[in-house]
Amino acid sequence: MGLFDKPLEDIRSYIETKRVQGKARVLPFAPVLPRADSSQIILSEDMGLELGNPGVASRSLLLWDIEDGVVDNRIVLVGPDFQEADTPSLPFAMAIMASGEFSDEYDCYRDLRDAIYGLKLRGFMTRIFPGRQSIWCRVGKEALAAGFNAQILGSAVIQTLKELDFVHSAEVLLVTSSKEEVNELSPAADMVMDIVEALIKMYEEMNFDCESCEYFDVCEGVVELRLIRDKLQAEKKKDTAGSVGEGNRT
Amino acid sequence: MSRVIAVCGKGGVGKTTISALLSRLLAKGGDGRILVVDADPAVGLGMALNYFPDRSVNDIRMEIITAVKERRTDSVDLAASVDYKLMEIVAESGKLGFLSMGRPEDEGCYCQVNTFLREAIESLSSHFDLTLIDAEAGVEQINRRVMRSVSHLLLVSDTSLKGIRVAETICKVADEAVDYRKLGLVINLARHQDEYSRLSEATELPVLGWIPEDETIREFDTMARSFLEIPSCPALQAVRHMLLDNDFLS
Repeated sequence: MGLFDKPLEDIRSYIETKRVQGKARVLPFAPVLPRADSSQIILSEDMGLELGNPGVASRSLLLWDIEDGVVDNRIVLVGPDFQEADTPSLPFAMAIMASGEFSDEYDCYRDLRDAIYGLKLRGFMTRIFPGRQSIWCRVGKEALAAGFNAQILGSAVIQTLKELDFVHSAEVLLVTSSKEEVNELSPAADMVMDIVEALIKMYEEMNFDCESCEYFDVCEGVVELRLIRDKLQAEKKKDTAGSVGEGNRT
Repeated sequence: MSRVIAVCGKGGVGKTTISALLSRLLAKGGDGRILVVDADPAVGLGMALNYFPDRSVNDIRMEIITAVKERRTDSVDLAASVDYKLMEIVAESGKLGFLSMGRPEDEGCYCQVNTFLREAIESLSSHFDLTLIDAEAGVEQINRRVMRSVSHLLLVSDTSLKGIRVAETICKVADEAVDYRKLGLVINLARHQDEYSRLSEATELPVLGWIPEDETIREFDTMARSFLEIPSCPALQAVRHMLLDNDFLS
């Protein structure tokens, strides 16, 4: 069992449906990174293509799995590749899936997220708004002309994740086709956000008063969250007992 | 090294007009990408340049504070959100980006949000070749709300001695608070050379020159036309001569 079994299943089903409909294609992984030293800003004047502008549909998901539910090095694209776009702005979704050994879910979450936030590519601007699970990107004119495409972006994301010791495999789904097909991922994205928020609350507050917790329903629906809660609760009890024991000695 | 020019002075001396004229010259010159920041709560520069952004930096500050109250977030997500929202409110036209600071409202102490905002503005500014700030009176505001570093301080006075004295006071404050490279005073709305000479002898500040009263400026103000479209006129020529031809901005 994993934290994201249900949203992962939904994404699997999404990819399969698009494959059957002939809308999904698999791009080969190519480990070439046009990395930049700092985050990029691309103004409209220098922009070749925009993805996920705040005014259009945009979704960004990051999920992980302790089992082998991730197809390693697979980049799935639904919709036109960057060079094929016939408009300067496309809706955009990026679902990133990693698999590996996640001994501490919270630390791993932060490492995965920091790796994605820290990914800087030449001629490519990314802004992520976690509260809306939105991603907004711009590809510069020069980068687009030089061949920057979905394969490069997907490969860069996969390679970045796999630089983390605990990640064994990584997969990326990119959607550029339509607002509707981006929004089809919204239920999975909302689930991911709820689970991550519940996880953060558990680790940061160490408050296990479940009945008054706003994430009660989330934990009820995710076995792995309850297991993490039980583990943290046991650790907290152990710590409390330890400090009481130390107090008695003094 | 990117340059940050702050236009400061007593209220009503023409800081916004000079900022608008300078924006016009820079937008059509060869200085690369220009970020114009309207940091005056009166938000006059946006009107002078015909930028009417829906939201200001202060608006996104409030949005982020609300989001922090509603949703679990940590400093990494907070910084990402600030970056995203800041980019969202940059109005763009060619190589010119425009940012309105808006009217500051106190909503308790959210030092972390304010710090991230200032850092995000500094980071944004570093991607532009030149940043021009139309500041409110005084320079502490620049340190506190907008930028920690200003490379060029352009002081503006009208033909009143009071205007000159305020400029001198700002200079004194700046000497302690801002690590600027160049500083100069511009006398605005002078009627003739004699008036300018008399005033420039009344101060020890380095005086760059004077800007005459100009019917074209009055007409553009009255008609609310964009100063980015202003034709060559005596005031524009004076600004060009003082600040560009004499290499003040280098």
